Amino acid sequence: MATPGKPTKKELKKHIPTKTSFVSPLTPTWRPLPQQDMHFILKTLKDKLISVGLEKKEVKVFRPWKKKKDQKPPAAPSEPAVPQVQDSPQNGWTVVAARRQLAIGINEVTKALERNELKLVLVCKSVKPKHMTSHLIALSVMRGVPACQVPRLNQNLSEPLGLKSVLALGFRRCASTDEEVFTDTVDAIKPRVPSLDVAWLPGAAPTVTPEDPAHMEVEVEEEEEAGEKRGQKRKLESESKEITESSSSCSLQPLKVKKVVTNPARKAKKKVKT
Amino acid sequence: MAHLLKDKEAYERLNYLYQAAHCVLSQNPENVELARFYCFTQRTVARRLVLKQDPSVKRTLCKKCSSLLIPGVTATTRQRRKNSKIRFTVMRCLSCGQSKTLLNNPDYCLWVDRPEAQLEQQKQPGDKPQINTTQQLLSRCVV
Repeated sequence: MATPGKPTKKELKKHIPTKTSFVSPLTPTWRPLPQQDMHFILKTLKDKLISVGLEKKEVKVFRPWKKKKDQKPPAAPSEPAVPQVQDSPQNGWTVVAARRQLAIGINEVTKALERNELKLVLVCKSVKPKHMTSHLIALSVMRGVPACQVPRLNQNLSEPLGLKSVLALGFRRCASTDEEVFTDTVDAIKPRVPSLDVAWLPGAAPTVTPEDPAHMEVEVEEEEEAGEKRGQKRKLESESKEITESSSSCSLQPLKVKKVVTNPARKAKKKVKT
Repeated sequence: MAHLLKDKEAYERLNYLYQAAHCVLSQNPENVELARFYCFTQRTVARRLVLKQDPSVKRTLCKKCSSLLIPGVTATTRQRRKNSKIRFTVMRCLSCGQSKTLLNNPDYCLWVDRPEAQLEQQKQPGDKPQINTTQQLLSRCVV
């Protein structure tokens, strides 16, 4: 629209104050999962859970409101006796052995990953906000556990399990091979899981362990070439080459900067004149 | 903005320090001190030259001791909640014990991620020759 050679007034009007911010080039991201695999995984899990019959049952006890505090003390001695009897058969998980082999819930999965107890990790993709589960990516790559994001995991699994929301699921390793309820499911799902990649970690191929040395070599070569192409300063190139040759691969990612418009709604700090 | 960045070297330095800290921890998970020193230098550089950092960078640094937070190695991440259904994600730095709480609001969007904050969608300031240069600079900026 603007013709060249316009007066400077327009420039000043259109000039938008911007700020440049340094963006992290190393944020780990999930790999996309193809539709077929997603459906397959969801179906296998659902069938397995229904066949095992694992469910958390909760009897909804009618609790009188706390306003009726006067009536509670005389009724108190009789109350604890009655609900205790009711709890054991109905409340809790149906199949306890199966429950012990799973890690359900973000906190449980995180703790198990930190202690290196899991064989497979499944995370729901439709999580908002993303930072709730983003820490699991790096953790699972470090422990060498296959992990993937499955959309709609939450919706599909909360009903069979009888829970409100299931955002993360992990299958524990068993010491002995007796009573492993989920081994066949795990083996069926594992090959379908795309391998995760984090830029700064030594390229871990979590699915297949014996091929690791071959993978490492291939990746080191690839990253050396990439380092050459990207290299901005020659000193950096030579240093990074030496590092790659000695041990794991760590090539320098290029600088990422974002230009952002300042937020007009942000209140400016009032300057206090002393 | 002036020629791309006034302090391009400074941003490159931030970039290098940040990635070096990651590499250090990947090769030797016990050596938290060196990673902390790199992140401390990074923060000092940014503070001296008043350089803005993205929340994605700031969320991985501890505010107290400025060590690099990596879930599992230098930090623990847990989901907690206050009684009235408000849920947080809490990251605790293992070295200094400082915790960083992030509220789990599904509708919250950082200012940086919102569409109105993106520069490319705004009208280009200035005349045609200047427009060309800004486009070139932007294309050079994100390689």
